[in-house]
Amino acid sequence: MEADVTAMSTDLVIRVQGLGVRFRRNRRGRRSLKDLFSDSSRRSKPGEFWALRGVSFDVRPGESIGVVGRNGQGKSTLLKLVAGVLIQDEGVVAVNGGVAPLIEITGGFVGDLTVRENVRLTAGLHGMPKAEVARRFDGIIAFAELEDFLDTPYKHLSNGMKVRLAFAVVSQLEEPILLVDEVLAVGDKAFREKCYRRIDELLAEGRTLFFVSHNERDLRRFCARGLYLDKGRLVLDAPIADVLDRYNADYNAG
Amino acid sequence: MTTAAVGAPGSPRRYLHSLWLLSARDLKVRYATSALGYLWSVLDPLVMSAIYWFVFTQIFQRTVGHEPYIVFLITALLPWVWFNSAVSDFTRAFSKDARLVRSTSIPRSIWVNRIVLSKGIEFLCSLPVLALFVVLSQFSETPAQVGWGLLWLPVAVVLQAVLLVGLGLLVAPLCVLWSDLERTTKLILRALFYASPVIYGVSDLPGIFETLAAFNPLAGIFALYRVGFFPGEWDPWVVGIGAVMSFAFLGLGILVFRRLERSVLKEL
Repeated sequence: MEADVTAMSTDLVIRVQGLGVRFRRNRRGRRSLKDLFSDSSRRSKPGEFWALRGVSFDVRPGESIGVVGRNGQGKSTLLKLVAGVLIQDEGVVAVNGGVAPLIEITGGFVGDLTVRENVRLTAGLHGMPKAEVARRFDGIIAFAELEDFLDTPYKHLSNGMKVRLAFAVVSQLEEPILLVDEVLAVGDKAFREKCYRRIDELLAEGRTLFFVSHNERDLRRFCARGLYLDKGRLVLDAPIADVLDRYNADYNAG
Repeated sequence: MTTAAVGAPGSPRRYLHSLWLLSARDLKVRYATSALGYLWSVLDPLVMSAIYWFVFTQIFQRTVGHEPYIVFLITALLPWVWFNSAVSDFTRAFSKDARLVRSTSIPRSIWVNRIVLSKGIEFLCSLPVLALFVVLSQFSETPAQVGWGLLWLPVAVVLQAVLLVGLGLLVAPLCVLWSDLERTTKLILRALFYASPVIYGVSDLPGIFETLAAFNPLAGIFALYRVGFFPGEWDPWVVGIGAVMSFAFLGLGILVFRRLERSVLKEL
């Protein structure tokens, strides 16, 4: 990430400009040592496609943004770029402040470590001091309803439990930006309600929310603004209702 | 949002915090999952020493190295185990924790450096074994001499860490992009063991090889480890070239890592 943060006026938390990232179409494409030495940005090679290109938008603190689009149109890629776990091929992503990402269905936890160790590790990697982790630990476990599984290796948890733990940890991080990528669809109804209440709390505290979902009701409930991605382009940046109408007109018509 | 956090994202303090968390986790996993725990980090060099000691002093008439040979062996074998285990772990530095790498935006070099650190700590913990053999040798006909050269040991540790970080930044991303390299690295490591002065000293090499060996940075590093017990191992040429080569690897590693970071993240 080109840390262009200084150039960003202080009333923005995220600034994205001319963002583009490309992937190889087939996983094991031919690579040569030449790739190593040639400056590969900006040129498009055969067998590569732009997952996102020419995307620009600004986000102010406290905004809640829903990202809409069909599968494979770059929604998750956009979140990963904002989270800083992918690096763009062109353009700028400037993020002012930390990001609490819930972008992997598994929360990015380590299978061999126990629930307890995973919580400490993830919270610690987000800069939470040991004492703070200890203070919040019981709250996190209570939220995830995993009191009986503290010493169970993460890989032995059910999918529902994994998502519960992931959300519990990520929503406790004191980062100003929260990214949520469709993962909530896995949890059961009672837990989803709990998550929604927590998201409401976080929004009330003034956090910025980036929300990817296919659930129209959720999008309307949390988001004021919508980004509509189609074929790697930002087609529409407008109030969520307009974005959803346009999306429905494009794909759900008839 | 002002809260209790360990340094700002991107600050050296946060870097060290994350580095330590991951290294400590590696050590915890290693020591918690095995009943023998600490023994494992010393068992490997001990068994190897026993084998080489037997082969070279009991079967063959040894003409290389110095007396006491067991101390000569261990002074290089312990750092070799650090080098060997770190480099073999580099091949899976990203893939082993792919999920964590994909969802945590800490500086990517931490995934390499935590291996150097955790293996380095294991190495330091194995040093008492060396001390034990030095003490034991005092009761034999050829007691080990301990000299001021021992002060070079910390320098050797730092130099080896520099070399390892450089190699890690080089090997780890390349192994993600070209999966064949994982096996190639293992093969190179096996050859490198005999190409490095572990069971012999640089001065034992015939003719041109003595000069060439200096360009293996491990030669200089192992010489620094040994000079405390075997002053004859001191060779400014070998040590100097070793230091230059170590820093050259670090520079090359940083360069390659920067170049490949983007592709690595896409590939995971």
